Amino acid sequence: MNISVRSAPLTRPEKIGLGVIAVVALLAPVIFSNFFLSALLTQAIWLGLVALSLIFLSSYGGMVSLAQVAIFGIAGLVTANLSEAEGGLSVAIDPWLAAIIAILVAVAVALIFGAIASRSEGIYFLMITLAFGVMVYYFFGQVTSLAGHGGVNNVAIPGIVGDRVNDPASFYYVSLAVAAACYFGLRYLGRTPFGLTLQGIRDEPTRMRALGYHVEVHRTLAFGVAGLVAALAGVLFVWWGRRIGPGAVELATVIDVLVVAVIGGLYRLHGAWVGALAFVLLDNYTRRWTPEIGDILGPERFNTLLGLIFLAIVLISPGGLVGAYESLRDRVRAYFAGRRGDVQEDASLAPPAPDGASGAAAGAPADRPNGPVAAQADVTFQRSKTQTATPEIGGEE
Amino acid sequence: MPEKATADARPILSLKGIGRRFGGLDAVRGVDLEIKPGERRAILGPNGAGKTTLFNLISGEFPPTSGTVHLFGEDVSALPARKRARMGLARTFQTSRLFGGLTVEDNVYLAVLGVRDGHLRPVLNHEDSEMRERAREIATQMGLGEVLDREVAELSHGEQRQLEVAMARATDPKLMLLDEPAAGLSRTERQTLTELLLGLPEDITLVIIEHDMDVALRVATWVTMMYEGQVIAEGTPDEIRANEMVHDLYLGRRHAA
Repeated sequence: MNISVRSAPLTRPEKIGLGVIAVVALLAPVIFSNFFLSALLTQAIWLGLVALSLIFLSSYGGMVSLAQVAIFGIAGLVTANLSEAEGGLSVAIDPWLAAIIAILVAVAVALIFGAIASRSEGIYFLMITLAFGVMVYYFFGQVTSLAGHGGVNNVAIPGIVGDRVNDPASFYYVSLAVAAACYFGLRYLGRTPFGLTLQGIRDEPTRMRALGYHVEVHRTLAFGVAGLVAALAGVLFVWWGRRIGPGAVELATVIDVLVVAVIGGLYRLHGAWVGALAFVLLDNYTRRWTPEIGDILGPERFNTLLGLIFLAIVLISPGGLVGAYESLRDRVRAYFAGRRGDVQEDASLAPPAPDGASGAAAGAPADRPNGPVAAQADVTFQRSKTQTATPEIGGEE
Repeated sequence: MPEKATADARPILSLKGIGRRFGGLDAVRGVDLEIKPGERRAILGPNGAGKTTLFNLISGEFPPTSGTVHLFGEDVSALPARKRARMGLARTFQTSRLFGGLTVEDNVYLAVLGVRDGHLRPVLNHEDSEMRERAREIATQMGLGEVLDREVAELSHGEQRQLEVAMARATDPKLMLLDEPAAGLSRTERQTLTELLLGLPEDITLVIIEHDMDVALRVATWVTMMYEGQVIAEGTPDEIRANEMVHDLYLGRRHAA
């Protein structure tokens, strides 16, 4: 499969849509109730950040990591222990300093995890990162001097950030700013030598080695970058709930984050928040909406409905909700392009690209025309590859 | 004969008794090979002769089980592929290994960047504009000027093979290994490719594995014939064409089929 992180240039309706979303995001404290803002939107923001670290590794690096929740938890646990709290060490240093140290520790752990995992691929990579996740979970559960007996509670948070219950707007804006910085930072990183190298490694590590790149070092550093994003989410999580316990890093959470990333779209960074918002809303409202159908379904069995909805999303669109949207948009565009001109193929193959000149400049936007037939071309490419491969005996390739 | 002209020059590549075993299979057995600077060498042989394994040993994909590889006068037998690449060795792959999710320009850009420093640079600067300029220049030279902004997965098979060569070329190599560059190409595309190969700067030393005689014997000035992991004949293209054993093992079998 060819992963491409590029998306088609934005159409006017899409720009308007994005503008509306931005305005709603900025005015959310005015528009929504305090419950919706602090319990749902803010949760979606930090949950999306954890998913973002996973999506970054998978879309830019081709590494689906199950260790991101562990990094998230480590950052949270260190923050909670260094700040004033009940349970844990309660070192009681300044919450900001606690957060900074926590982030550094979490990134260091991410680099160690990365160094170990970077030599493996596919299912082995998945198993190694899963092992990291489970390791951290048991650490939380068993080292009670750090994780407390009922978790670490009543963690002190910086005044400016504000308690999410008493000052939901302030906490929301801090979370939003962190999320925006991570999103735009990673998008920018994707076009730099570091980011393009990572994408090359995702597509063909063997070729990258033959071009002079150190594949393992690069993968390890990418793990560090993703670790930074997960660590920021961990700090937000602890400040949000003012507590952390083993439940934060249990296997169910690992699965939740994977589900968020997959239903949002594993190949688009913004899919993280599309998935997180869908997840948080469904998780909250299916409890009320689930219809009563004998013994099979009912409000107390909302997880069944939740599972069915996620299954449907993944079955309908492998690219998640973002992928579903993009393919729908491309179809609509191809339909109108077909109606407008006689030369249907040409029109659908290359949507008019006004960025021809600007695209030539270094650091051109990652969004360039990407024909709606890309998926189709992908199939033919794979086919021609197999056809032309000369059958040679085992050792040849 | 170019062999004589460069007879005194030190070999750019020298293999001594090199061998590689895969389980019970001796893919390459005790091969000696010397390539002089500026040479154009073709390596021929039926499928399974060990040609690609030989390339993998030279480029450092995996270490030899016996023998040594000297590159530009240095023993590189224990060096990983990336270090050999940075010494001035470039290669293409029998089955295209391209970055399918990136554009043609990005692919060549990564080739240009690979042999330089700054792989980890997390910001854009003037060097990137210069490297992109260079990438576009090379891609255009190799006939890909029209498709610079296309994603590689959308290219035709022929364009992908051209890009394979363009990426090797973009590293400004001293030695270039081409593994069946014409595989799966149409007659016209093969002619285009042959012209591209003949047009490469003369100071780039070429070693080419190719089943297609029109391409291989036109580009090469000296031919090495392999069979079952060993070198069985060497000579000029004309000598190889006339060699009985070569005919029986390879040309004969191929043309009789």
